[in-house]
Parts: sequence; C-alpha cells; structure tokens
Amino acid sequence: MRSDRSRLSAELRSAREPTAEQQQRFTEFLSKKYHRKVPLHWEADESLKSGFRLQVGSDIYDWSLDGRVRQFQDYLRQLQAGHEDLVPLMKQAVEDWTLAVMPEETGTVLTVDSEIATISGLDHAQYGEILLLSSGVRGMVQDLRRDKVSCIIFGDSEEVSAGSLVRRTLKTAGMPVGDAFLGRVVDALGVPIDGKGHITPSGHRPIEAPAPGILDRQPVNTPMETGLLAIDAMFPIGRGQRELIIGDRQTGKTAIALDTILNQKGKGVVCVYVAIGQKTSSIAQMVGNLRRRGAMEYTTVVCAPAGASAALQYIAPYAGCALAEYFMYQGQDVLIVYDDLSKHAIAYRALSLLLERSPGREAYPGDVFYLHSRLLERAAHLSDELGGGSMTALPIVETQAGDVSAYIPTNIISITDGQIFLESDLFFAGQRPAVNVGLSVSRVGGDAQTRAMKSAAGTLRLELAQYREMEVFTQFSSDLDDATKRQLNYGQGLMRLLRQPQYAPLSQHRQVILLTAALRRVMQDVPLEEMEDFRARLLDYIEETAPDLCRRIDITGLLPEEDREEIVELSRNFAKTVWPGGKRGG
Amino acid sequence: MERGIIVQISGPVVDVEIQSGELPRLQEELTVEREGVLRVMEVAQHIGRNTVRCIMLSPSEGLARGLAVEIPGRTIQVPVGRATLGRMFNVLGQPIDGEGPVPEGTPVQSIYRKPPTFEEQSPAVEILETGIKVIDLLEPYSRGGKIGLFGGAGVGKTVLIQELIHNVAMEHGGYSIFTGVGERSREGNDLWREMRESGVADKTALVFGQMNESPGVRMRVALSGLTMAEYFRDKEHKDVLLFIDNIFRFVQAGSEVSTLLGRMPSAVGYQPTLAGEMGELQERITSTKEGSVTSVQAVYVPADDLTDPATATTFAHLDATTVLSRKISEQGIYPAVDPLASSSRILEADIVGKRHYHIARKAQEILEKYLELQDIIAILGMDELSDTDRQIVGRARRLQRFFAQPTHVAEKFTGLPGIYVPLRDTLESFEKLVNGELDQYPEAAFYNVGTWRDVVAKAKRLEEGEA
Repeated sequence: MRSDRSRLSAELRSAREPTAEQQQRFTEFLSKKYHRKVPLHWEADESLKSGFRLQVGSDIYDWSLDGRVRQFQDYLRQLQAGHEDLVPLMKQAVEDWTLAVMPEETGTVLTVDSEIATISGLDHAQYGEILLLSSGVRGMVQDLRRDKVSCIIFGDSEEVSAGSLVRRTLKTAGMPVGDAFLGRVVDALGVPIDGKGHITPSGHRPIEAPAPGILDRQPVNTPMETGLLAIDAMFPIGRGQRELIIGDRQTGKTAIALDTILNQKGKGVVCVYVAIGQKTSSIAQMVGNLRRRGAMEYTTVVCAPAGASAALQYIAPYAGCALAEYFMYQGQDVLIVYDDLSKHAIAYRALSLLLERSPGREAYPGDVFYLHSRLLERAAHLSDELGGGSMTALPIVETQAGDVSAYIPTNIISITDGQIFLESDLFFAGQRPAVNVGLSVSRVGGDAQTRAMKSAAGTLRLELAQYREMEVFTQFSSDLDDATKRQLNYGQGLMRLLRQPQYAPLSQHRQVILLTAALRRVMQDVPLEEMEDFRARLLDYIEETAPDLCRRIDITGLLPEEDREEIVELSRNFAKTVWPGGKRGG
Repeated sequence: MERGIIVQISGPVVDVEIQSGELPRLQEELTVEREGVLRVMEVAQHIGRNTVRCIMLSPSEGLARGLAVEIPGRTIQVPVGRATLGRMFNVLGQPIDGEGPVPEGTPVQSIYRKPPTFEEQSPAVEILETGIKVIDLLEPYSRGGKIGLFGGAGVGKTVLIQELIHNVAMEHGGYSIFTGVGERSREGNDLWREMRESGVADKTALVFGQMNESPGVRMRVALSGLTMAEYFRDKEHKDVLLFIDNIFRFVQAGSEVSTLLGRMPSAVGYQPTLAGEMGELQERITSTKEGSVTSVQAVYVPADDLTDPATATTFAHLDATTVLSRKISEQGIYPAVDPLASSSRILEADIVGKRHYHIARKAQEILEKYLELQDIIAILGMDELSDTDRQIVGRARRLQRFFAQPTHVAEKFTGLPGIYVPLRDTLESFEKLVNGELDQYPEAAFYNVGTWRDVVAKAKRLEEGEA
C-alpha cells in the first residue's frame, strides 16, 4: 500500500533454524499474503522456546509460545460471562479455539510527554482507536501522520517509555454499559472505583456516537421537575432539554443539580453524574449524600477527578453520555449532569496545545465549540419510532467574577436550550437558589410545563424582571408614589417566596398553591421575615383542608378556574386567621 | 475512476496520495468507503506533486491510513428546482426527511458558482414590512436586501428569525429556503414540524448542517442552501427569501480546520482567509435583474464582542442590521433590539418618506439623550433634572417599553399571544409618543402591547386593578 512496500522484507525468528521445507512454506505464505516476492531472513532467538515469530513491515505473526498464549487469553476475554455454568463454557471454548493466522500490528514509542505519546509503525491504526501501551496503559489515537501516530494517554505516562512496544486493540474507544452500573461509581473508562467489585456490562457503546438526527427527535413535552420553585415556575426544564447551570464558584450550581437528582426519586428517571476535574473528596462527599438519601439506586457517577490525566478528563463526559444513551435507547428517561464543562475545556486545551494545534481566543483551540456541541447534541427526546426515550442534560459552567460573556460560557449558552444563571451577590444576600431572573431563560421548557404550573406561574418571570429594573431605577429617587411602592413591596415578597433550602424539593401541588396565592397578592401584606413561616403553614393548612384538590393537581396536572378560586379562597381565609385584623405592614 | 490512498489524518483534515492520473482540482469531491458507508471529503490544497489535503464532510472516526479513495471528478452537487420544495436536505443534497430520494431527472447544480457581475446587480429600494414595531420604525428592511440579526448567546436571535419566517415568509408569495448552519438539531425538528403544520411546506426547502456535524459540513452547508435559492432566482425569476441561521458558524467551522490545514492563525485565532471566504459567500447572496433574494442572516456574536473579527467582517455585507443586546433582554424587553446600535441603509427620507424618517430620528434622539442623562441620574438622582430632561426620560422609558412586543413564536413561553403591527399603526403610535401625546399614561401600560390604542386600554385596566 505505501511506497516503502516495494522494499518489504520479512524477518523470521525462532530458537532453531527452520528446515528447508518450512522455509519454503513461509515464502509461499508471504507471496500469497502480500502479492509479491518478499525476501526472508532468519535470525536465531533463544528467548522463543518453541514456535516462530514472523515480522513483515510492522505486521507481526506470532506463533511462539507467548503469542499463542496471548491469543488464547484474548479469546477467553471475549467470551460472554454471566452464564451459570462456567465449566462447560470453558470446555467448549477450549475445544473451539484454533490458532489464527492473523498479523498483529505493533509499533514503537518514539516520544512520551506528560499526556501524549508518538509512535512509529501501526500502519493501519484507525482514527480514534484504542492502543495498548507497555504495562497495560491505554491510549487513544488523535493524529495519524505519514510516519508516526500521536495518541493521548489514559493513565500514568511515567509507565510508558520510549522504545517500548505498542499493540493495537482494533477497537475505537468504548464504554461498557448496562443496568449493573446503577448505584456505582466508575472512572472514565467504566472501571469501578467504589470498591464494590466487578461490574458485568451488558454491552459496549462507542464514546463518540452521532447525535440523533432531526427526524429522530420529537419536541420536548414532558416536565423534568427539579422541585425548586424558582426553576420549575420560571425556567421549566423538559425531558430531552439541555439547560446550562452557570455561575461563579460557590453559588450553589452543584446544589441545583443535586436537588434535581434527588427529586427524581420514584419518577422512573435514571441519573448519570459526570464529575470532571473536581476534588476526589468532594465527589466522595456527594456520593455519600446521594446514597444516604436513597438516590444512588438510580444513579451512576462517572468520575475523572482533578488528579486524573487530561485525557481521562477529556473523555469522561463522552463516556458518561454513552452510558446515558444506553438507557435512552431503551426508551427510558435519563438525566445527565456534566460538572463541569469549564474544566473539560481546560483539559482539552492542554491536549490540543500538546498536540501542537494552534491556539485561538483565550488559547482554546478552534474546535472547542465542536467539542461541546457534539456532546450536548446527543441529549434529545427521541421519536416514538426510536422508543421515545429522552436524555436531559444539565451541563455546569463556572464563570469568573460573574462574566457570562466570556468565551466558553457564551459558547455553551449558544448550544444549550437555556441557562440558569446564579449570582454570588444574591447568594450572599440569602436569596438561594441565587437565580438571576433577567439573565436566565428556558427556551423549550414552557411546552413541557403542566397546564396547572403554567397557569399558576403566569407572567411571574416578566414581572420579576420589571421589578428588578424598577428597583435599580428608583434607588435614586426620594419620593415614590404609592403605586410604585406597592409594586416594589410586591416584588420583594415574590423574591422572598422563591427562597428554598437545599434538599427540600416541593411537589407540584405545593408549587401551584404557592404561586397562585402569591400572584393573586394574598401574601402582599406578609412581612418579609415571616414569609418562610407563613409559607409552610399555608401549605399545611391547605393540604389538611383540601387533600382532594392537592391530589387532583398532582395527578391531572390541570388547574381549572374553580380550583384556582378555591386555592385563593382558602389562602385568604388562612391569612385572615393569622391576622384577624386584615391588612398589616405594607 | 482514479484512485488514491489516505496517508495522513488529523481530525477533519485528511491527506490523500494520488496513485495515478491527474490530481483532482481544488473543491473537487473525493469519497472513501468504510463499512459500507460512503464518506465524502473535499480537496482544499495541493501539497506536493501527488498529494492533496482534504476536508472531511463526514466523521473521521474509523478512518485509517492506506484506505482507498475514489475520485469521481466533480464538485459537490445539490438538487435544485421545484422538486426541492417541501423537502429537507443535508449538505450533500441528500434528503433527510425520510421520504425517499428526489425524483429522477431533477436538475443538479454545483455548490460553487461565481457571484453575479456588476452589470447584473439590482439594488433594493423598497421597504419590507415585518410587523415588528422596533424594526419597521428604526431599521426598516428592504425587499431584495440583506438583513443581519446580531446577538450574543441567548438574546433571542433564533426567536426573532422564526418570527420573521412567521410574519414574512408565510405572507410572502414566493419561495423560501431555510438553511440551518451549525445550530441545534432540536430547532431543525421544531421548524420542520411547524412548516408542515402551517401549510407553507410546499413553498419551502430546508437544508441543515447542524452543530453536531463535522466542521466541513458546517463550512459548506450555507452554499448548498444558497445554490437552491440561486436557481429559483436565475432560472425561474422568482423573489426568494433566504434564511440563514447562523452565518457565524460558517466562519467558525473555517477556523476549526484552518490550522489543521497548516495555515497560520490570524487575529483571535481566526483563519487568515476569513474576509475572502465571507466575501465569496456574501457576494452570491444578492438580487439581480433576473429575480430577487431577500436574505435574513442570524449572526452570533462570540463573547458578546461586536468587534470580533467574524462579526465585524459580516457587518459590511448587510443592508440592514438589527443588533440584539443582553442589557435589554435582561430587562425583559423582547425583541431585545438595541435601538441605537441597529441601522438600515434605507432609512432615508427619499425611500421611507419624510414622516417616517422624522419620527424615527426623533425617537433615536430621545433615547440618545436619555443615555447621556443616565450618568447624571446615577450620580445626582432624578430630582436634580430639569423639567424638560425629566420629560425626555419619561418618554425614553415609555419608548423602551413600547418596543417590547409579544411574538407569535414565543407565545408558548410567555403565554402572551403574538401581535402583528402594520407599519401604518406603528408610525401613528410612535408619532403620538414622541410628540408627548401619551405622556399621561403610566410606563407599565406601554409594555408588551401593540398600538397606542392598546396603551390607552391597558392604562385603563391598570387603573381599575389598582383601585
């Protein structure tokens, strides 16, 4: 195939010199296989106790004892385990096995860097193929040059040395998948790291898979409830949507993702949490938290912590996505959290620069957009022909000093179907979740909201955005008219209503009741500091007096006019019992 | 058919050594078969006597050195003509709507063509009503002109372009071509369904190369859509509407492959050929004596930076620019058009008429003055302003709110029904506003309504609600 093929020669190694008849057979084999006359040289090699090893170019035919054993090992590995009777399977396997005449391509490591190795040989290596380096370290082909191959290293580069042998695996990078992964913590290659033993996968999926096409999808139409009033009311997320969670560090980004996972309990949603570049201790803490609250049963954590190589951090979200796809294509609903993609971009930047691809804005390579777009496009609501499963993605991005208009944040905002922007000022002022109403948006979730939520939430978002603007504008005015004052008060009350502690998801009927009461200005006169208390007691009161109403909302997802009036009526009555005098404060 | 083999692969860029015969020319297509699937690439460079460097229009995963490459000896071709209407295509002109191939005998055209000459040009001078107040008043679009919608991530470009499709394409008698360049597949699905439901499918062709596809696809799909539009203009003498969402992705895809092609990066890491690539594409999108092409292009503004080389290069090619701003969308004002940064070449007294021109300029003056006053207000407070200035602030704030208008396509998020405001009503309403005839109504009455009559009605409702 290549020009140097014309000068192809074969080298035969064995302990004893081959007989003339054997030599003849080798020459025939070579000319048949390579369609030309290949000169054959013999060399003595005492290390091969029996058999031969034939090398032609970079192809090796290994019939030595070592080679046979290795072929047999590979064969055994391919056997599907999981059968009850292992012994008959083994017996059958031993009988079926025959030595194959197949070349094994090898290469030699030329250079090793902290993340990258270049290799000579491996003429037929595929783009994206997994390579086996010395001492079991694996790598993935990233660049195929005329005379060398570059691969990124998934492991300790210290264990790879120049001159060592590299073997092909003939497989592109894949992730073992299966139901057995639920409840487990694995690394980016699918190997369990939680000390709970081996996972038996039910299959493999490539980590890079094409996203569902335009006709493979259907509109997002089912809610993915987060249990957070501020989000479910104003920025509803639907199954199959991509909603970015963005904000400075320590503004509660992970808390929102975590609350969402917890709120999926009993809703038949499978969750995958991908931790990229985080402290191992915080991941351990989070897993403990999920386990304690019974959420690990339906969750897998894929983990490429800060200490993992950049290559592992780079493939972790794709690996997590492959696992999520397994469930999605079975018709299930999946929630996947990428925490966080800024670290992922940084890992990819490191690899790109080491691969000598030239830097662009903020030193990121030109294809950093494609890096995230091809990942996030794999989240979808599949058409009914494909089983109707869905993958909802919640990528997380960290901003610096609240700058949403930096490169990576705007890139990802332009990919996702909306963003929830968390602000540190709000967070420290006690407004948690610290959602900035003006900058957050959900582009498709409105379709997915139940009618009850939609009619209860009404124009809450627009009213709050206008309130914020008015608040800024009026802070310089001394005399405010009563109408403006009332509107400011009302806005403050709404903001207070949206505060919600962590691990306290609100069910649908509770959200509907609160929103209906608040927007009909029942809480207009509740002093701000008593809002939380009032809210809790109001909910208890209504759940006690009208349990049917609550159940009806949860089951039908509808809020007919009479139900709405009933809620308003009940909450007005309740407000009166608290303050018999009627209006207070103001 | 001549053959070559792959000798080097670096992401989407592949080198092919030609074994026999002539080298394929630049822009010619080459194909490689892998597991029964034909993958296509396109020659970008000759890098030696027998080697060409190509850009993949398919994924590179699974390719290996030594694979055989076929050379069909042509550039990429797409089907054109009436058979494309009601269909959805990919960059190669293959239908992706699951309704089988295009009928035999459908004409095909290469996606590479020369732009119309100087002599063939036919500049546009007629206003195109959109029903969106802020646009019709301040940066009127022209029939047969080129319109750009600039905006950072998530400020509402796609909603606005879809509203324009709703308001303009559905009223428009001619054909429309929608080209999705590097945007969301979900939006493609939504648009496809909407076209079907609204019954305009038989006048519309859709072409998609979305953000999950390789950079080569995103670089070329705009040309595929454009070629279909050109055919209707040149051969059928039609007035064609061409929507492109999003032209920035075309530049971005070019920069993704540029360094892999061995080119030195230019400013902000873009390709050195940025202006040339943009010019070649944009010069083809134009109205000629044969027929007109009205194009609406969304332009993404990376990192909200309007001076970004890709954005800045696009500005020069457009007749009207609508700039969407994050600051305005933050206030809940949609469409978040920045009334001072947007402009139109046809906002001249000769074209739109004296009355329109004066109202528009007057509105801009008020807003400009308010912008200047904002610093003073921030330091000294409203109370320090003179009566005239206070009046200006009041009118400016009413103007800003009056620019907000519920759109048909956002109805499902906002719950507010969309409003189409005819140009006549727009002019009448803003005339009253800038002349101070509406000063007595509260600011909130101007928010998200249609005409001045709606303002009066909303003011009345607000008053009753308060009482």
